[in-house]
Amino acid sequence: MSATRRDFLSLGALGGAAALVLRFRWEADAQVVKSMAADTADAAFSPSPWIAIDASGKVTLTAHRSEMGQGARTALPMILAEELGADWSKVEVRHAAPGPDFPDMRTSGSSSVEDSWAPLRQAGAAAREMLLAAAAARWGVPAASCRARDGKVVGGDGRSIGFGELAAAAAALPVPRQPPLKSARDYTLLGTRVLRVDGPRIVRGTAVYGLDVQVPGLRKAAVARCPVFGGQARRWNAAAAKAIPGVREVVPIPSGIAVVADDTWTALAGRDALQVEWDYGPQANDSSAAYWRRLEAALDAGGRTTRAEGDAAAALARAPRRLQARYRYPFQAHATLEPMNCAARVGPDGCDVWVGTQAPNEAQRDVAKLLGIRPEAVRLEVALLGGGFGRRLGYDYVIEAVELARRVPFPVQVVWTRPDDMQHDFFQPAALHEIGAGLDAAGKPVAWVHRAATFHLSMFGPFSAGDPELYDGSPWGGYDTPYAIPALRIDYAPLAAPVPTGAWRSVEYPSTVFARESFLDEIAHATGRDPVALRLELIPSPGTVKLRTMTLDNGERLRRVVRLAAAKAGWGRPLAHRREGRRWGRGIACNAYHRQTMVAQVAEVSVGARGDVRVHRVVCAIDCGQVVNLSGLEGQVESGVLWGLSATLHGQITFAGGRVEQHTYSDFPVMRMHEAPQIETHVVPSPLPPLGAGEQPVPPIYAAVANAVFAATGARRRELPLGAAAPRQAKAT
Amino acid sequence: MTIELTVNGTRQSFAGNPETPLLWVLRDHLALTGTKFGCGVGVCGACTVLSRGRAVRSCQIPIRDALGLSFTTIEGLSPDGSHPCQRAWIEEDVAQCGYCQPAMILTAAALLGARAEPTDAEIDEAMSGLVCRCGTYPRIRRAIHAAARLARASR
Repeated sequence: MSATRRDFLSLGALGGAAALVLRFRWEADAQVVKSMAADTADAAFSPSPWIAIDASGKVTLTAHRSEMGQGARTALPMILAEELGADWSKVEVRHAAPGPDFPDMRTSGSSSVEDSWAPLRQAGAAAREMLLAAAAARWGVPAASCRARDGKVVGGDGRSIGFGELAAAAAALPVPRQPPLKSARDYTLLGTRVLRVDGPRIVRGTAVYGLDVQVPGLRKAAVARCPVFGGQARRWNAAAAKAIPGVREVVPIPSGIAVVADDTWTALAGRDALQVEWDYGPQANDSSAAYWRRLEAALDAGGRTTRAEGDAAAALARAPRRLQARYRYPFQAHATLEPMNCAARVGPDGCDVWVGTQAPNEAQRDVAKLLGIRPEAVRLEVALLGGGFGRRLGYDYVIEAVELARRVPFPVQVVWTRPDDMQHDFFQPAALHEIGAGLDAAGKPVAWVHRAATFHLSMFGPFSAGDPELYDGSPWGGYDTPYAIPALRIDYAPLAAPVPTGAWRSVEYPSTVFARESFLDEIAHATGRDPVALRLELIPSPGTVKLRTMTLDNGERLRRVVRLAAAKAGWGRPLAHRREGRRWGRGIACNAYHRQTMVAQVAEVSVGARGDVRVHRVVCAIDCGQVVNLSGLEGQVESGVLWGLSATLHGQITFAGGRVEQHTYSDFPVMRMHEAPQIETHVVPSPLPPLGAGEQPVPPIYAAVANAVFAATGARRRELPLGAAAPRQAKAT
Repeated sequence: MTIELTVNGTRQSFAGNPETPLLWVLRDHLALTGTKFGCGVGVCGACTVLSRGRAVRSCQIPIRDALGLSFTTIEGLSPDGSHPCQRAWIEEDVAQCGYCQPAMILTAAALLGARAEPTDAEIDEAMSGLVCRCGTYPRIRRAIHAAARLARASR
């Protein structure tokens, strides 16, 4: 949570079933806090209460973070329930809607738990203190003699009374400003394995994703978009499309030509029948080779130095031994299993939007701007996301659906097909890294020059070479390298993205950590050192870092996960060669994600005669602060490892003729069941608050695997993907 | 031409374009949205439904070929979510985003119908045609073994 955020608790009275309603926000400035705190009975509190305890004892949290698999809808109410002493079986979660009550619903940066931690604890503690006070008053005993647990207040003499019965009386009490927070020693829910709240709906097929929303009169649309980036439709003939029964309209919109029909299949058939002549624009001859040449030229020209310690160039020149290597990381697609889609209706009363998005407020704001109406007149309902991974931080598909909806007199859902989704993604950009190190006589790195070239993220705005924010802290994983080297320089050369680019699970870390951790392995092997020992030696001691108000010894935290992963993996012990004809190896890599969450991973791989790489086992050690949901954390580690493995082994988006060459999961393969390794998660207990775990397990896996391939074969792989056995073909029905 | 078929034990008819894939008839016309659209070309498996106990891809079945056939979607796998796979999926906390899981569960149910106690190799064989972008494969494997135990216990 940023230092400018303030917790704000307030109380509102609601009619009906809700008896105690607590509202709070943390992005209010001091002035707003004061005036709203003075007016606690304001009925305007009612539309979006954060927390409500009704007379039956049911506790409802209105969750302000999108659910895309990361587990926010389970973890957030757990934090509340722990502080409150609630009965978990009586806790429900409902979803917030963007607007004045919920101005900060952006779901990104692995921050849902981290940002919600302090406010939810404080709100839960305040509600608990009010319930305790209400029970104490009823019994005529001191509040300090009472405890809250399992949805009841329990008196010192053992008698108890349910939250539901106390809620009305508690609501009349003042809200404590600084309620005492539970000690981690007393946690009974946090750190345990709690089942995902949406599990029962998911397994019965009743969970509602964006594509599943049911709106009366909803028609479906497919949009013909120019396959070449920067192109547009010159002219089109809609006659054949309109001749198809069920096709309602053919409508040009800024992103292409939309075919609207009674159902999805008819819309797709209509789009197929559309004859469009494209003006491919200036990028019609673009190719991956050209993009690589741009990155190479940018790297060679040198970027801006974002971090310098000592005189790295001089130290490098002086060093008795030098090593240097370049690493390439290709473009990646998100390929969320639910393709982009958005339903919208525009009418005289405003606009309704039904969509799975990671950026509800920004989408609402820009839809309002587009339509020239107030943001409050844009009612945006956030559905479950069939995968987000950063793709749904972009809301191009929301704007597109509203552009269509404003031109037709009925609600309409734009459905993207898999090729639409894969070819019009905000890609993770390709990156080129070169690292040079000077080694002293003992083989220890004393100089380190890391130069990176990549494309900027167009999802977040146009490229501006002079914008200092572009360079601040970049590249992630290079600027914040966890290793102490006396002379160090980090250069960063971002280029204007020629294709849409954006946030992708762990953003800039994968390419950088692949390069950094591979290069460290190269140093270890070149100097006859053990890769684990070399890391332990280079991680500073104590490695003091300031994190908000805390001072941490991140050196020790990172060393601990490296040691733990190595120990659990049996580092240094020979690998059992379980199958003939394959060469086996083990590799390690680690990372300190934004100097917060520490991860180390050991991969065990085998390499076949044709160079195909199989990953058999991944041991992951993680220190991510306080664990909220252990099942969720383990799931995020498994998910992050497999996400990274898809890119390590298979994934790359390439361009030819200005367009994407891949279409679907056959030419952009992702990991499948038969390739999934055994994944072990080992958690380092931590007294720190939660620090994030959704993206953090991704970055180290690339180099852990590449280093294991080197250990197996003696061949250093500096380009991705490494390649695996041909993915198994889907069985035809 | 009207095409009659049975879905989750209920007779249904469809009078639209006979080339329409079963997937879109289920989703757009019968409001059975538990069957998911992932790729439309049979490579991700998200649209899997059961036909005579076998897992089939509803995006690859034109509705004209469904004439007279009977299908089970995730909504019809059990009346109350109590199929061993559904129970095991919850107990093993398999789902992340959950979008692929109806297809995973139906495919696993078909596997368990054919092999009461499948080996890991048989699980790989049955499940590797499906994509989970969240990477829940380790838990899917555990859940299939758990479902086999649950099914055995209730026999």
